[in-house]
Amino acid sequence: MSIAAINEQLLRAIGVGVALLDLDTLRLRFCNDTFREWFGEIEVGQHLLDLFAGFDVEALKESLNGEGRYTTETTFRVRRRTMTIAMAFNRALDGDEAIAVLVCQNISRIKELESMIDSYSMMVERNTREIKREKEQVEKLLLNMMPRSVYEEYKTFGVVTPRLYDPVAVVCLDFIGFAEMVTAHDPGVIVSELNDIYTAFDRIGEQFGCARIRAVGDLYIGVAGMPDPTEDHGQSAVNAAVRFLRYLNQRNATHPIQWTCRVGIAAGSVVGSVVGVQKYIYDVFGPAVVHASRLRYFAGPMQIVGNQALIDGLVGEYATRPCGQVELAEGREEDVFAIEAEVPLPQGA
Amino acid sequence: MTQSLFEKYGGFSVVSKIVLDLYDRLLDDDEVGPFFDDVEMARIVDHQTKFVSSLMGGPASYTDDQIGKMHARLTITDAHFDTLENILRETLKDHGLAPEDVEAVTAAFEARRRLVVE
Repeated sequence: MSIAAINEQLLRAIGVGVALLDLDTLRLRFCNDTFREWFGEIEVGQHLLDLFAGFDVEALKESLNGEGRYTTETTFRVRRRTMTIAMAFNRALDGDEAIAVLVCQNISRIKELESMIDSYSMMVERNTREIKREKEQVEKLLLNMMPRSVYEEYKTFGVVTPRLYDPVAVVCLDFIGFAEMVTAHDPGVIVSELNDIYTAFDRIGEQFGCARIRAVGDLYIGVAGMPDPTEDHGQSAVNAAVRFLRYLNQRNATHPIQWTCRVGIAAGSVVGSVVGVQKYIYDVFGPAVVHASRLRYFAGPMQIVGNQALIDGLVGEYATRPCGQVELAEGREEDVFAIEAEVPLPQGA
Repeated sequence: MTQSLFEKYGGFSVVSKIVLDLYDRLLDDDEVGPFFDDVEMARIVDHQTKFVSSLMGGPASYTDDQIGKMHARLTITDAHFDTLENILRETLKDHGLAPEDVEAVTAAFEARRRLVVE
């Protein structure tokens, strides 16, 4: 077999569609078997527009006369399968005559793969968005339970090391006559009122650097000076407590249910830690919490009472007066002080 | 957490081959192929990708409601469903899924029969 014959055999059998076109007339001079298989029974001498209706002949001519190359794609159906063929026209010379060599490749599989990747990446992106949203919700929930620095530690190491914070100021607040209020009103009303009040306290606390640690029933505990130590923790705690009282006072003026609280504030040390394994909770405990809680019992309606350490740390914005002695630590009486918050008592209190 | 079949068999890189193979076999089949006569390629591939992914526990899941709606206009008989089930089984087998996993996937498919068969 001659080289030319081998070439022709090769050209016919190759998996790429090949055709030659006369550039002047755009009529087919030759096409191989693969080309026929894709585009049907084609006669030599047929015009390009007969083969591909709507073909942009002008663009083809312009490109071939310019850079000598033109590429395009064509899509059609073979039975129910969508075929996409990439077509590349190259200008060439056959003797003196200008011809175009058309090489066609079946890129249907690539198109199918592209579609599949599109579909898959959309699924993955949607999942990623959902996971991110869930993660944010979990984070929000955990940040409600613990300070951010503790949460970061928990996230990184999976555990939280108990830590001593000294000094901090602990605010303990509860409501006088709460048990009676609960039985006197609809539970839904009480819960909704408490929600309002605690949300306001949280906002005030956030503003003055006194974060809520716990709210159990009518007992609200906030701490200033942790996790990051601050010199003016006492001032922050009193600032927040005074605003708690003012808020309640304003609220009482416009709401039928009257809330009367008492507040104890103690400066001292606490331990902060995540407690529990299955049902963990971030908690703060220690002398300052115990003392603030005891001081609360000593406070009158809408009154704030603090220990000596707290009063020592105040810079004089608030008037204080001694109001007796309380056994805060075992067997040791201590002077305690009322802090003037200038808040009138609610009606009937 | 238990590993899904999607992860067990190598994730998307393997599942993609199953999807394309299934696509070929479905279109070549004269019983179920005609359902795809007038459907755009991208749409068929999209559905096949989600279909296989959800059956194998990948990152897609169709709700029963969605499956019902998607097939509501088609007249699918039990025979069509059986054919598709066989094609699915053969494809999974040819891609090296263990027999019990092939059964698990086809069982998940079978569980949806009432949603699509008239």
